[in-house]
Amino acid sequence: MRRCDVTDIGVSLQDRFNRIKSRRQIILALLTLATLASLAMDLQAGPASLGLSDVFAGIIDPASLDLRQRIILWEVRLPDALIALSVGAALGLAGVEVQTILDNPLASPFTLGVSSAAVLGASVAIVLSPSITFLPEAAILPALALVFALGSGLFILAVVRFGGGARETVVLFGIALVFLCNALTAALHYVADADAIQQIVFWTIGNLTRAGWAEVWVVTACFLVILPFSLRHVWVLTLLRGGEAHALSLGINVSRLRTWVILRSSLLTAFAVCFVGAIGFIGLVGPHIARLLLGEDHRFLVPGAALCGALILSLASFLSKALISGVIIPVGILTAVVGVPVLLGLLFRQRRMP
Amino acid sequence: MTRVEVVGVSAGYGKKQALFDVTLPELRSGEILGLLGPNASGKSTLMRCLAREKRAKGRILLNDREQLSIPQTEWHEQVGSMPQAPPAPSALLPTELMWSTARALALDLSDAELAAKIEQVFSRLGLDAVALSPLHTLSGGKRQLVGLALAMIREPSLLLLDEPTAALDLHWRMAVLEMVRKEISGRGGIVVAALHDLDLAARYCDHIAMLDHGRIVVAGSPEEVLTADTLAKVYRVEAQIRKDSDDCLAIDILRPI
Repeated sequence: MRRCDVTDIGVSLQDRFNRIKSRRQIILALLTLATLASLAMDLQAGPASLGLSDVFAGIIDPASLDLRQRIILWEVRLPDALIALSVGAALGLAGVEVQTILDNPLASPFTLGVSSAAVLGASVAIVLSPSITFLPEAAILPALALVFALGSGLFILAVVRFGGGARETVVLFGIALVFLCNALTAALHYVADADAIQQIVFWTIGNLTRAGWAEVWVVTACFLVILPFSLRHVWVLTLLRGGEAHALSLGINVSRLRTWVILRSSLLTAFAVCFVGAIGFIGLVGPHIARLLLGEDHRFLVPGAALCGALILSLASFLSKALISGVIIPVGILTAVVGVPVLLGLLFRQRRMP
Repeated sequence: MTRVEVVGVSAGYGKKQALFDVTLPELRSGEILGLLGPNASGKSTLMRCLAREKRAKGRILLNDREQLSIPQTEWHEQVGSMPQAPPAPSALLPTELMWSTARALALDLSDAELAAKIEQVFSRLGLDAVALSPLHTLSGGKRQLVGLALAMIREPSLLLLDEPTAALDLHWRMAVLEMVRKEISGRGGIVVAALHDLDLAARYCDHIAMLDHGRIVVAGSPEEVLTADTLAKVYRVEAQIRKDSDDCLAIDILRPI
């Protein structure tokens, strides 16, 4: 009799848990729809008159547009809109993994110093204008930003590997690296002329309009290659939210997990920022919004954070073109403007709930 | 049949030695060993050595096999440990934590079997009402019970509990140890628990080892260990030991010495 009671209670618990999971699947589906809607809005926004129907027609059959419209859609709007999605998704994914592995809600890919190193690399390219024989001139800036960003990632990995891997150590070395890169960038500012300084500032703010198809493919490929590895770790990342001591006591190799996550996050961030500049905030706020909507189960949180990152950057890209007619505001300025109200709204809504 | 032997174990932190040649009574299936001692006596260090989280000199044998000779995966299948701190107060749901733990550890259970197991463990620990409440909304005691549920999910042969009742109220202090005892006597497991509560140790432990400054002061049955002289020497308190109505030892602490 007692056994029956226990089973009855059990079924209802599992049913309730299944309902929570179904709700989260619906939220993920809605986020996907919202992202696609944002992509559509972003594609039809811009100074040239190209409505939504033209955009769809032009994607399905490019010949349906005249040459000017075709160039605007395929060479300007599509790469800009798609790089917003891929960079946003990459930063969102990197952010959620870094926050979990460092158990720090203030952590983001930028906490590790990857972005500051990319800015330093870009500043070297702009101020010193080095020539690299096998690289075209236009590729030198992203190449140096990428190399510096990856170098900072390797440095943090070395800290994890040889410094014991404690999360506080990683955060502190990341902050130290941020300060070092900022100081060296400031030194370059000091010797740079006004034109170069303006270029550095423009790059640092972040801008999607310099991306072409090559950049879209590179960032998307990087994201798609890394995502399955992240999804493979969703159970253990969820378990880690119960605390590192419990994960260790269950035999989880947290130090090795931390190495993998930092490697993934560094690669995602490096490839994301090297082409479009140091677009801040996405890697911090995207995961927070996803967490508020989807909870801590990383089966939902990991894809959710990527979707939130993509959605925020896509909305920012749309607003950057739609806010002031004929002017494209650098998207890095708008990411916070879009993300903060959404985050605050969710936080207040959560507080009102019992 | 499970057997645990701990002979001549020493360990430290850098140059500071924390454990000196610790030998524990030999443990067999169904037995509970309580580690007692004041703060900084070496209980947690010994627990970490037993859990293979800390390197130690000496011999720790599980079923006649040296601790370090057992492959890591096999070790964690046989040994469950519950750290002193309860699970972190995150927004994670206890049910999610149990599912993720079982799947991260690749337990060989179907979804239906795992769901039934989680429900059963939660029901026995009185957690079914909070199974879907975020951890940050639970009291420290409830979270400690979730930690215990995690340690028990693999049904280990050796269960190591570091102050498992520290955050619990009177009911759950006894209920948890009753449950642990029933659990291990059913499966033939062994429990080693670091405890602060002398009455609980007297009531539920088959053996007690009293530690002080990293050394075993005395080890044996509760009657042998829990004497007024030992408590005066280790805890610096004057105590009166008597038998209660259940024929268990009851310790009345009278005053500090």
